[in-house]
Amino acid sequence: MRNSKVISSCVLVIFLVTGCYSRDVRPAGDHTDRTSFMFPDYQEVTIPCNIAPLNFYYTDPDLTRAVTVFSSGGESVTFRGREVVWKEKVWKRLVASASGSEIEVVSTLKSGTVEEKRWKIHVSDDPIDPYLTYRLIEPGFEVWDDLEIVERHLESFESKVISDWRHTANKCMNCHIHSQARGDLSMFYLRGEGGGAILNRNGTLRKLSLRDSSMISPTVYGEIHPAGRFGVFSTNIIIPGMHSFANRRMEVFDTASDLCVADFDNNEMMSFPATARDDVFETFPVFSADGKWVYYCAAPARPVPAEINQLMYSLVRVPFDAATGTLGAQADTVWSASAHGLSVCHPKASPDGRWLLFTVADYGTFPINHRECDLRMLDLKTGNIFTLDEVNADGSDTYHSWSSTSKWFVFASKRGDGMFGKPWFSHVSEDGSVTKPFLLPQGDPHFYDNMLRSFNVPDLGSSSVGFDAEEIGRVWKEVPAEDFN
Amino acid sequence: MGRKGWLTLFITLAAVLAVAGASQAAFLIRYPYFRKYAAQNGVSLVQARKAWGHPDKISERVMGMAVEASLENWTKVSELASVDIKSRIATYYYNLANAHRDQLADKLMEYYQPFETGLFLPVGEKSSPFQIGCAGDVWFALGEMTMAERDAMLGMLFSPEHKGSRYLRRLAETNLVTGDFEAASKYLRMLLNSPSDRKWAEERLPGSWSPEFRPFVENKRKYLPRTDLVHGMDQNQLILRVLLNSNPSNKMALDYLLCYDLLTKDLDAFVADYVPSLTASHLYEEAMLIFLASKGGMDQENFIHYNISPATLEKFNRFVTIYKRDNGSGRNLTDEFGKTYWYYFYYAVKNEK
Repeated sequence: MRNSKVISSCVLVIFLVTGCYSRDVRPAGDHTDRTSFMFPDYQEVTIPCNIAPLNFYYTDPDLTRAVTVFSSGGESVTFRGREVVWKEKVWKRLVASASGSEIEVVSTLKSGTVEEKRWKIHVSDDPIDPYLTYRLIEPGFEVWDDLEIVERHLESFESKVISDWRHTANKCMNCHIHSQARGDLSMFYLRGEGGGAILNRNGTLRKLSLRDSSMISPTVYGEIHPAGRFGVFSTNIIIPGMHSFANRRMEVFDTASDLCVADFDNNEMMSFPATARDDVFETFPVFSADGKWVYYCAAPARPVPAEINQLMYSLVRVPFDAATGTLGAQADTVWSASAHGLSVCHPKASPDGRWLLFTVADYGTFPINHRECDLRMLDLKTGNIFTLDEVNADGSDTYHSWSSTSKWFVFASKRGDGMFGKPWFSHVSEDGSVTKPFLLPQGDPHFYDNMLRSFNVPDLGSSSVGFDAEEIGRVWKEVPAEDFN
Repeated sequence: MGRKGWLTLFITLAAVLAVAGASQAAFLIRYPYFRKYAAQNGVSLVQARKAWGHPDKISERVMGMAVEASLENWTKVSELASVDIKSRIATYYYNLANAHRDQLADKLMEYYQPFETGLFLPVGEKSSPFQIGCAGDVWFALGEMTMAERDAMLGMLFSPEHKGSRYLRRLAETNLVTGDFEAASKYLRMLLNSPSDRKWAEERLPGSWSPEFRPFVENKRKYLPRTDLVHGMDQNQLILRVLLNSNPSNKMALDYLLCYDLLTKDLDAFVADYVPSLTASHLYEEAMLIFLASKGGMDQENFIHYNISPATLEKFNRFVTIYKRDNGSGRNLTDEFGKTYWYYFYYAVKNEK
C-alpha cells in the first residue's frame, strides 16, 4: 500500500514535470514552417565528417511513439522518443565509421498507425572549416538593439561572442567577414561614435576610419585582398523603404554607390573614375581568388524607389594591380542583367579560384526579403552557370561564404518561416554538383523554434579569429581610429 | 540562540514578509495595467520596473490603453482615454478608439492633438520603446500589414527581453491576414507553448479558426493593398493613399488621411483627398470653409457639394467676425470655438521639443 502510494506520487510528479515541459509542436505540415516529418530535415543531406551532432525532433503533433535507429559500418545507435539528441562521443564514433559513405536511418513512428521511414545521411570525408561567424539580429528593419557577433565551433555546440553590445555601448555593428576563410585575416565594422572598421591581421587588431573627403559615405560592403595589404569596398547611400505588399516587407536601395580601395599599410583611400560614376551604381566588390581581379555588381543609375523594380545589377569585373592597389579602367561584363532579366548580388569567389557563387533576384540590391532570390554558381574555368536547384528553396537564399578548401559553402536562407535567416551548408564536388543543404545543428533540437533573431552573413573560418568581445570593447574604448587619406 | 531568540527572529521575518507582501499587493491593486503590460512583454515586475521605472497614474492609464487595444477592447480604451491627460500616446489611442466607432473626425478637436503624431506615433531614434511598441496598432487597424508587422518586430526588439506575447500575437495575426501561414506558424508555435497564450493561439491555428476569428481576418483582408509600391517609413499620407486606391471603401483609412491632412494644416491635400460622398463630419465642413473662404469659393454650389450645413456656416461667420474684430487674437474665441478646426488652424502651434 505504502509502495503503491510512493509510486503513484512519483508518477504524478513525473506527469506534472513532463506535462509542464512537454512541448507543443503544432502547427506542422503543408503551409507551415515545418513541412517535413522531422525538423531540421536531415534526410538525404550530405554532411562533413567533422560536424557537430545532428539533433532533431519529429514534427507530427499526434506522435505517440518514435524509435530511430542509425546504422553504419556494423555500428548502430537507437533513440526512443520525439527528440533525437546525441551524445557527442557516440555521434563522432558513428560519423567516423561512415566517413566517405553514409549512415542509414530507420524512423519508426506511431501516430494512429505505425509508419516506417528509411532515409540516409551522406557523410563526406571533406571536412568543413571548423568556425563560423555570424551576427545575431532581429530581422532587418534597419534598427538594432543588443547586437552580437558570434563565432560558433562547428565541430561542437560551443560558441563565443566576438563582439557585442555590452562592451560597445549598444553600438551598431556590421557582419564579420574572413578573407578566404582565414581566422587571422578578417574584419567587421563598429558604427557610430568611437567606431571604425576593425581589421584583424595576424591577430593584431586595428580600428580604421575608412573614409576620405571625396567619398560619398564610409565604406560599406567589401573584402580584404588575399595578400592582406588592400581592401576593396563600396560606398553607398542606402535608403530603406517598405513595400505595400506585406509579404515583400522591406526594400533597401542605393541612391548612389561607388567603389574604392583601402591601402591598410599606408592608410590611404583610393578611388577611380571608372568605378565612381554618377550614372552607374557599383556595389558588392570582392577579389578573385588570386587577387588579380575585382568582381562587383553594377547597374545603370535609376530614380529609386519609383523604378526599383527595373533596377538590375550585372556582374562585372575589373583588373586589380596588387602592387599599387589600382583598379583597371575597363570593366568586363561577366553576367548580364539585361540578358537574364535578373539582378545580381553578393559575388563570392572560392579560394581555389574555380567557382564564383552569387545571388540573383528579380531586381534591386537587397535580396533578403526577396522570396525568389536564389544562388547561382559560375564555373570560372568553363563559364558554365549552375542553377543549384538542389540548394535553392522558396525563400531568400543569399549571403554565402566559402570554406578554405572550396569544398563547402554556407549561406543564409529564410526557407521555412520566411522571416528569420539561418545558416545552411552544402558540399561542392569537382564537377560542380552540389548536395542538399543541411541546417546548422544545435544542441537543443527545438532551438530554432524559439529563435527570434536572424543569423546574418554566416562566414566560414579555418581557424578561430582569436579575439573576443572584451578585447573589441577595449579597442572600441581605448584605441583611436586611424585616419585614411 | 535560545527559544525566545528564535521566536523573535521568526516573528520579525514573518512581519517583514507580511509587509513586503502587503506592499506588493497594494502595488498590484494600484497598477494592474503595469503588471499586465509587463506580462505582455514577458518580463517580471522587477524587470519591468528596472526597464521602465516606477509607474505613476499617467503611465498606468496609458499602459492600460495599450493593453486593452491589443485585446481589441475599444470600449475599455475609450473609457481610459476619457480624461485628457495631454499625452501623445493617450491621444493616439483616443483617436484609434474613436476611429473604431467611426467617430475619429467628429471627436478629433475635443482632445489634445499633438499634430499628426497623435495619429501615427513616430518610430525613430528619439522614440521610447513603449511608443514603438504601440505604433503598429493603428496600421493593423487600417489594414496595412507591412507596417504593422514592422512595428511589432520593432516593439519586440526594444522590449526588455526581446520577446513578449503582445508582439508575437500581432506578428502571428499580420501573417495570418496576409496568408503567410509559414511565418505565422512560427509565432503560433511559440504562443502555444505559453500557458497564458495557448487558447488564443489554438483558435488561430490554420484549420481551427474560431467563429470570431474567421470574420475578423476576412474583414482585414478586404483592406489589403492590391498594388505594390515602395515607400518611405514615414510617408503616412502615401501609405494611406495606397490603401485607399485599392479599397476606396476603407473609411477608417480615408478618415485617417483627412485628419492627417488637417492636423498638418495641409488644406490643399485635404481638398484633394476629400470625397464628401464617402465620409462626413463637422470637422470636414469646418476645414472646407477655411479653404473656400481663402480661395474665393463661398457659394451655394460648394456648400451643397461639400455638405456644409447652414449652422456650420453661420458659426463660421461668427468666428470670422470675432477674429477680424480682435485683429486675429484668439482670446474671445476660446470658449465658443476652442474645439473647432478653425481654432486649431489659426492657433495651434507645434512644440518642437
